[in-house]
Amino acid sequence: MRNFKTTALLLTVPASLVAIGLYAAPILQVLALSLTEPKLGLANYQSLFANAAVGRVVMTTLKVSVMTTVLTVLASYIVAFAIIHMSAGWRRISLFLVLMPFWISVLVRAFSWITILRRRGVLNSTLMDLGIISTPLDLVYNLFGVTIGMVHYMMPFAILLLYANLSDIDRRIMQAARSLGARPATIFWRIWLPLSLPGIALATLFVFVFSLGFLVTPALLGAGKTLMIAEYISVQISSTSRWDLATSLSTMLLLVVGIIVFAAMRSPALRAAFVARPQQ
Amino acid sequence: MTISHFAQDAAQIALEKFSRGEIDRRSFLVALGGLGLAAAFKPGIASADASEIVVCNWGGAATDAFAKAYGDPFTKKSGMKVVIDGAGPAVGTIRAMVESGKVIWDATDGGMIDSLTLGKGNLVEKIDYSIVDKSQVPENFAGEFGVSNYVYSNVLAYDADATKGVAPTGWADFFDTAKFPGKRTMCKWIQGQLEFVLMADGVAPADLYPLDVDRAFKKLKPMLADIIFWEGGAQTQQLFREGEVVMGNIWHTRANLLNKETPDKFKWIWEQNILSASAWSVPKGNPAGKKVFEFINSTLDPAGQLVLLQIMGNGPSNPKTLALMTPEDAAVNPTTKENATSQIMLNPAYYAEHETELQNKYLDFISS
Repeated sequence: MRNFKTTALLLTVPASLVAIGLYAAPILQVLALSLTEPKLGLANYQSLFANAAVGRVVMTTLKVSVMTTVLTVLASYIVAFAIIHMSAGWRRISLFLVLMPFWISVLVRAFSWITILRRRGVLNSTLMDLGIISTPLDLVYNLFGVTIGMVHYMMPFAILLLYANLSDIDRRIMQAARSLGARPATIFWRIWLPLSLPGIALATLFVFVFSLGFLVTPALLGAGKTLMIAEYISVQISSTSRWDLATSLSTMLLLVVGIIVFAAMRSPALRAAFVARPQQ
Repeated sequence: MTISHFAQDAAQIALEKFSRGEIDRRSFLVALGGLGLAAAFKPGIASADASEIVVCNWGGAATDAFAKAYGDPFTKKSGMKVVIDGAGPAVGTIRAMVESGKVIWDATDGGMIDSLTLGKGNLVEKIDYSIVDKSQVPENFAGEFGVSNYVYSNVLAYDADATKGVAPTGWADFFDTAKFPGKRTMCKWIQGQLEFVLMADGVAPADLYPLDVDRAFKKLKPMLADIIFWEGGAQTQQLFREGEVVMGNIWHTRANLLNKETPDKFKWIWEQNILSASAWSVPKGNPAGKKVFEFINSTLDPAGQLVLLQIMGNGPSNPKTLALMTPEDAAVNPTTKENATSQIMLNPAYYAEHETELQNKYLDFISS
């Protein structure tokens, strides 16, 4: 057994080396640049906090990420809850439909949303043909469009996380509750919801952290007016050559995400999500 | 700007035309040649030695087949191979190369502004005007550290259906939403943006620089809700085609393509167009040494520059090209006399000094 363990461990060495070489090393390089460009010290971090423009970018990012997270988790919970109550056949079809967007690149998805949401797009044309509106609504190239695009991107992830959690909940508890006379609403609020808190916490954390780093969707659907951290960093690297700003902001983002994940993992709900479940 | 957004876009236009069969392979290669994407077109990092010229530009449309089809004839003529590296000659990349002593590029297509930035950082060679014929281009196109290979303009394009056939007469109409209702588009990269806002606000062309940023922002502020900011040339065509905007400040090459698609609907005016010059620079310690200037000199040839105009719409930096043009060529060229009567020239020295700060201010302004 010991031999087997050693061999198994050795087998992970190449993958670890690749990960270190291609992932850890560049990150350390970014960190190093943030401390040395243009000269050694913490000056870049000081100016980061004094920079009002960066503050506004951070606020926009937080606003969009919080909105995306709330909407995504809410909508995904409804979908996941519906899926676990379906018959096996329908469940298979539904999960297939949930997984479909994974095959489509984020770029194509962003352009598809433009086609749907633009002034002469599918949605506005339909609403105007039906006489519901007389002038087209501004649905894209603004915060609204960005949020729709991001929620759409994140939903499959959140649905799968919630689905895994919800389908693990022991249905006999609901049977017991019903036999004791609980109404459906009571069963949901007092049994389903508390028991699915680990899933909700995990999905919330995942979606929020993922949203903080969005680049393509806000750039395309926001048309310059919804400037989020990732795009800002990309501009500072490639367009303005402000590597000092780009690397210190990247490092801060990484640090903040690290702290959020670390803090969240200490919450009972998330710890429960990672506890090995007993086989049923 | 340390990225030449325009040069990237021009190569994309050529590739699209080529793939649609509108131009043949030979013209495509000649066009790329004019852009500096000459001869061999090789992806990835090129290794340079003294028997070849390595040109770095913003390419992207690269196959080895092009290398064979065009590289070999060129080699026969000059005895030197030309290798194209489409990695993008960002100022930061050139700086890293020169400082580490591992220069692999001979000529970089980075624009007049970059040539000044690089020159100031002592990162590029002076253009050797004993080899490069200075008289081929106007005086302001022959800089100490960069010589112009082509030019392009920011113009006011409009949807004639939306304006009911009324043509705007200048940038002031961009702001006249009573006369021309509808959304506008302008670029989120700063070059050529505040200039038009200030001209619309009544600033005389001679007084544009240094740009009065506060005045421009004040003029722009009430319009922000009606502006969609573009970041690439293809996007500007899409915005017009889809009826998303009725007018905008876009590159003349894209305005021309829109007009070719739907001549009666999409038009542009040359009034107050803003001309920018792209330019070659030579990183310090380039592998081919002085030989690169022979290559640079050859790109100033009017015949090649005309082909570039015909295929991609990029204006020639060599005025002698004007004599070779048909009336159709001249109509779409920013340096044609009639098109340039109220033209202003982007000030490279000003941008070399202030662009980074301006760009960030501008991004902050449009997103808040």
